[in-house]
Amino acid sequence: MSLATAFFLAFFGIAAIWFGVVVFRTHSMVRSAIALLFSQTAIGAMFLVMQAEFLGVLQIMMMATEMSVMAIFMVMFMMDPGGMGKMDMTHQKRLSLWAGGIGLVAALVVIWTAGWQGPVPEVPGADEQARLLGRELLGRSMFIFESAALMILTAMVAATMVAISPQEEDIQ
Amino acid sequence: MMDLSGARQGLLQGFRGLVAGAMAWDLRAFVVPGEDVANALGLDLDAAGLIRVATPRHASVLLIAGPLPPALVDAASVVWAQMPRPRCILALGSVDLGPLPTPDVTAEVSQQGLISGLEDLRKLIRNGAFAHDLTDFDAPALSERIEYTCPMHPEVVSDEPGKCPKCGMFLVERRVSGAAPQAHEGHEGHEGHEGHEGHEGHEKSSTDSTQAEMAHHQTDAMTSAEASASYVCPMHPEVTSDTPGSCPECGMDLVPQAEAGEHAHHGHHGHGSHGDHAEPAAEPTGPYTCPMHPEVTSDTPGSCPKCGMNLVPQPEAGEHAHHGHHGHGSHKDKPAQRDQGGHTAHTAHGQQDAHSGHQGHGGHGVAPDIPGIEPHFMSMVGLTEGKPVSPDGLVMEWIDAPFGPFFPGLPGGLHLVLTLDGDSVAGVDVRGMTMPALPSGVDLDDLADRLADAVPLSPVAMRELACRAAEKATGQTATQADLTARAAAVERERIASHLNWLAGMARQMGLASLMRRATALQHRVRTANANEVAEQATAITNLMDSVLDRSFMRTKLAGIGTLQGALEGPVARSAGHASDARHGDPVYAGLGFQPITQNEGDAMARLRQRRAEIDQSLDLIAAAGTIAMPEMPRATGDGHGMATLETPRGPATLHLTLKDGAVASAHLTTPFTALAAHVPELVEQMELADALTAIGSLDLDPWSVPQ
Amino acid sequence: MSIAVVLLALAVGCYAVAVLEGWAVHGRLSLTRPATSALALMGREQILPRTPDRLFFESGPVLLLIAGLLSVAVIPLAPGLIITDLAIGALFLNAALAYVLVALIMAGWGPNGAYGMIGGWRFLGQFVAYAMLIVMPITAVAMRAESLSTTQIVLSQAALWNVVYQPIGFVLFVIAAMGVAWLPPIDLPTGGGDLAGGVEAEYTGARLAVLRLARLVIIVALASATVTFYLGGWLGPWLPGWAWTALKTLAVAAGMLALGPRLPRLREAKYLAVSWKLGITLALANIFLVGVIALVVPI
Repeated sequence: MSLATAFFLAFFGIAAIWFGVVVFRTHSMVRSAIALLFSQTAIGAMFLVMQAEFLGVLQIMMMATEMSVMAIFMVMFMMDPGGMGKMDMTHQKRLSLWAGGIGLVAALVVIWTAGWQGPVPEVPGADEQARLLGRELLGRSMFIFESAALMILTAMVAATMVAISPQEEDIQ
Repeated sequence: MMDLSGARQGLLQGFRGLVAGAMAWDLRAFVVPGEDVANALGLDLDAAGLIRVATPRHASVLLIAGPLPPALVDAASVVWAQMPRPRCILALGSVDLGPLPTPDVTAEVSQQGLISGLEDLRKLIRNGAFAHDLTDFDAPALSERIEYTCPMHPEVVSDEPGKCPKCGMFLVERRVSGAAPQAHEGHEGHEGHEGHEGHEGHEKSSTDSTQAEMAHHQTDAMTSAEASASYVCPMHPEVTSDTPGSCPECGMDLVPQAEAGEHAHHGHHGHGSHGDHAEPAAEPTGPYTCPMHPEVTSDTPGSCPKCGMNLVPQPEAGEHAHHGHHGHGSHKDKPAQRDQGGHTAHTAHGQQDAHSGHQGHGGHGVAPDIPGIEPHFMSMVGLTEGKPVSPDGLVMEWIDAPFGPFFPGLPGGLHLVLTLDGDSVAGVDVRGMTMPALPSGVDLDDLADRLADAVPLSPVAMRELACRAAEKATGQTATQADLTARAAAVERERIASHLNWLAGMARQMGLASLMRRATALQHRVRTANANEVAEQATAITNLMDSVLDRSFMRTKLAGIGTLQGALEGPVARSAGHASDARHGDPVYAGLGFQPITQNEGDAMARLRQRRAEIDQSLDLIAAAGTIAMPEMPRATGDGHGMATLETPRGPATLHLTLKDGAVASAHLTTPFTALAAHVPELVEQMELADALTAIGSLDLDPWSVPQ
Repeated sequence: MSIAVVLLALAVGCYAVAVLEGWAVHGRLSLTRPATSALALMGREQILPRTPDRLFFESGPVLLLIAGLLSVAVIPLAPGLIITDLAIGALFLNAALAYVLVALIMAGWGPNGAYGMIGGWRFLGQFVAYAMLIVMPITAVAMRAESLSTTQIVLSQAALWNVVYQPIGFVLFVIAAMGVAWLPPIDLPTGGGDLAGGVEAEYTGARLAVLRLARLVIIVALASATVTFYLGGWLGPWLPGWAWTALKTLAVAAGMLALGPRLPRLREAKYLAVSWKLGITLALANIFLVGVIALVVPI
């Protein structure tokens, strides 16, 4: 790994963590959502640094829209989405501390115990990656992805059904 | 060398000189009171090289067209305050601008005046766009107090920053215009800002008008749900009745019970926000508690170990818990809890000793504890409790957004505030400007002038109306030829007015080229003689044909703003009511007039109707042959006369009493009030753009609201 | 070197589009007006609205400009004249354009004003309408080129331009592109008659200049993307490649701009309904047709 690669990887990694911290540090729902978006964008940039172009760009693209949709839901449902009242949004601190701590330990355990092989000798070119990804998606992993897609669709329809409050005529 | 009234700080040299030169060329005008008025006054902004802008933020010239009625001066000064420096005022025909600075250039109300005024303005900007010392602009409408309110409890209003006594959140600053002592004036309190600024600072916190809406809404829901709603006095809960009426004790109107509940609830809240309740009232359990977790108590102030919120003195915690209970009580699905006894208890509570009763209620707010989940925290039910519910079931904060009096594409001077639920309209407040009292003791010519000036959108019709009423009052009659020529003048104005309306609609819908064409044509027609009108006939018909043939117009207008209830004017005729004051008028009968109607009654039908009326007016003018302005008769002695005239917007009636040859009293009736009354039902729950289209398609004339 | 050339071309393109827009909106073709307007904007006061979300207010226009510039980065002006020839260029263009949405939401939310806020969120609704119609036609284009690289896509049209090969996709893409650049009649976030400037309503001075410039960059980016995907990019006889790209881009931009003032602003619900019910059906049909043709007829 060259020095520049390492630098950018670290830069975007720190940016991702920083924006992740901002998510909880701000009182504004919209800022929180946008910070989460840029945290995810930074992760996408890390993919790019690691020469996974397709995945990186896909991540950057998907997060922009997903987080925007999340932001509008926050504005629609939450009181004081602008955070002007400086309401403290944290809760269940002890539980979160434990969960976070356990998560950190688990991540560290995985990092240290995984049998990392040396750097991948040859990264295929971006067009080759895209081609291989396509073959994977439409080959061996097709069943998994298609069933996942179907489940997400079902969840979306169900969520919409739940979200719509029953109208008078439905009850009768 | 003179500086601009709105110059920007700085020295005019080097690069700034270049910039000032560019600004002199790039004049962007915000037209007050409105582009429609400017058109009606014969000002062709496009021909003068002005660019119109939709918001004062993008403007460099405040163009004041014609005399500004007092009702609009405050709004105009807000617009002026919003414009970025360097800014300047070009006043055409205005003398008194109240708090606004002296206009940089004044000129007469005419195209010539506009062009020469702009020329002078360009010179001024080139030399005086930047200045050393500036004076700040201040106007009564801009004076404002800063008050603080809780984002979650809008009823909590305080003059000082601090925390909400109910939930402990920091109070949010908001600015309220004027010197209104209480924010409860709702709309009045914000009136000064209605230009474009009213929303700033508080649109994310609901205002009291929103609260009022909420009460309404819930009342509606209740009365439809419960057939046997009883009525109760908001102040005296012991007074109940099965029928609406007034309270024997205080004379207030009785309200349906649900609403009374709301009110009691409000009164109670109001109490909670008083400072004196913060006095520790010798509570045995320790005076401080968490607003969210009543089980947390402490002897000292601090923060809650569970949620980190600041602890509040105990009585108010009780208040909050109690509030939770109340909120639940007003939920649709639990009508049983809203019993009379409950109300009596709570209201008494609010009126008498607020402290003594609290202990009994303290426990109500605590929801059953589910292990691992804290009650109410971030719960949508808890947070949105008491908020107005839209028909789609989504609970959102409503915001009041001003769309007037100077909103592009709507009639200038129309006061319009839409309560927006997302981008659909939940409520509307539409008002015109009250006309200055018609003078008494003046002669007839004077009356006609004042009428024409007061209604700048249809001055010819007003003059003709005054003339007809005066003829009735004096018993004089004009010759048939004169009457016909005068009718032709009214018809000419109808064509111009309908074209002006079309230009406004085009502006609203983003049809820039149509707007330019319609504006240009209305300029050509407005003062033309019969032959010139005939020359323009083909151009007008072609324009209207191309408008109607645009099938896309249908996608925008069809089915929008269907109104069957209107009884007069083009709006009624487009819904099939053949009511027309011209029908049965012998002068028009002589010209072969027959009323035209459409069926659908929507915005598209209104467009077709006005197109048909333009054609009809062209025919009428051709049949009349000449156009002449009315000559007021000489008046002697006493008399009373009444005349009705079909103005471009519907029938206007003038009652005129003469005494010794002078006007003793004059009373005008115009279609505005009746038409504006339909607006709320028209736009209810419409998408914002559709609502504005629907309102625009009515062609309201906000200038002619009789006193 | 090629970066400088592309950026210069972009600057010229933006100016030309500004002239065209002035002609479409104000009905006057003036070569100097954009320059004077820009200068005048520089001289105007920059007003900060009350209690703004300052961070969003300031960064919204800048992010918009960045999104526009990034999307231009993968458009080839001529063979070799491209800022970065990514192997997944077409996807990258989509990703960059997705941030137009984010920037507009930020710019609309920032000033703390009702018009701007509604404008910003309205654009989210508009996005839901156009998003699929940007992605799905590009899918069909990439299917024919068997590559996501913009250069490859242009080269794949050597025998027959995509506008002939997949006309449905072309029409859908142009309509969706007008939605991305919020060009009239799909100018819901700024709609002059509905929202008095909407997202732009509270911006003044240099900030407004940045916002307007960013919009011009986005218009150029979308027009040139249309040229790249459907009109054969730099391909054409007699003239050098860059001249063809420039001419075609300006022609597409002029067409988009000229359409706007002649149509009433689209109703949001209508746009959504048409995009999903008709647009997506057509886009799927387009993908299917292109797939069949690509398998059967080797062009």
